Amino acid sequence: MRAVHFCSSCGKVQPPVPVDYFMFFGFTAKLDLDTASLEKEFYALSRRLHPDLFAQANPEERAFSLEQSSMLNDAYRTLKDPIKRTEYLLRLEGIELEEQSKQATEKARATGELKKQVVPPDLLEEVFELNMHLEELGAQKKLGEDDPALLEEIGKAKLSLEEKHDALLHDLKTEWKKWDETIDNGREVDRPKILATMLDLLNRRNYIRNLLRDVNEAVE
Amino acid sequence: MSYSDKVIDHYNNPRNVGSMDKSSADVGTGLVGAPECGDVMKLQIKVNPQTNVIEDAKFKTFGCGSAIASSSLATEWVKGKTVDQALEIKNTEIVKELALPPVKIHCSVLAEDAIRAAIGDWKKKQEATKPAAVQTVQ
Repeated sequence: MRAVHFCSSCGKVQPPVPVDYFMFFGFTAKLDLDTASLEKEFYALSRRLHPDLFAQANPEERAFSLEQSSMLNDAYRTLKDPIKRTEYLLRLEGIELEEQSKQATEKARATGELKKQVVPPDLLEEVFELNMHLEELGAQKKLGEDDPALLEEIGKAKLSLEEKHDALLHDLKTEWKKWDETIDNGREVDRPKILATMLDLLNRRNYIRNLLRDVNEAVE
Repeated sequence: MSYSDKVIDHYNNPRNVGSMDKSSADVGTGLVGAPECGDVMKLQIKVNPQTNVIEDAKFKTFGCGSAIASSSLATEWVKGKTVDQALEIKNTEIVKELALPPVKIHCSVLAEDAIRAAIGDWKKKQEATKPAAVQTVQ
């Protein structure tokens, strides 16, 4: 069901109703969404909701068109990006991305158990090692020195990270399909596991993205 | 957002930067990360096996100024405490001391995690050596 943007009888612009971004475009909350039809919907709605079209309208309509346009832009920007779309769905499902680490810490404190790290230890080791190399490279650059072995090491790490990044996106898309299946077959019991896997993949990706950015800055 | 004076002080003059031999039985190592920002923090403690007092602490953090300041402060605070006392340190105390804004609270969480992880690692090493000690007594 698509959100109502215009009155069905008089055709006038309506205030945005509180729906999620998927519904705003009339989509079900599926992740493997067709970006071509998203774009088509976006342009079609933009043409009809644009505030310029309401320059002569009454203040109420002008305000509604502004609100609708703003929501339209936010919804489009969020849904067209694969990562933002996934994060958005996780939030819709009640997962607070920013709070996960704090929540795990609070649990560990209360139970006295060792906190389950949100990021796997092997990846942490790799991140740490590479950061050490990058720092070394920075120090050498300051001295005007150049260590070919170190550069080669960093180059190799960069390739391995890029491969990991691609693999993560591939895995994420696999989870999208699983998620979408649960929408079709209504198997809600399958959803928590899929959500947890997607969250894990996004967490790993965050690290790798930051690291790739640092590597690229360092070798420039 | 601007950093508090205490954060800037720890950032410019970080205390206890460095590393210790992680294979040593007296040393506990905690390596933790915050997925929110991609920061990574290593905190190590050296514990006196007789008194359980943390005699030395070192850290190395790759991350923002608040993460560096939080871990620097954490090493200062754990030194001289017993491991049980160190486990009492809460991220909210770090937030208060460094006047961290809400968006940087996860940095303090990371520092508390690092302390716990380092102590956890040290305890694991202690337990691993215990059965051997019992056997020698027998």
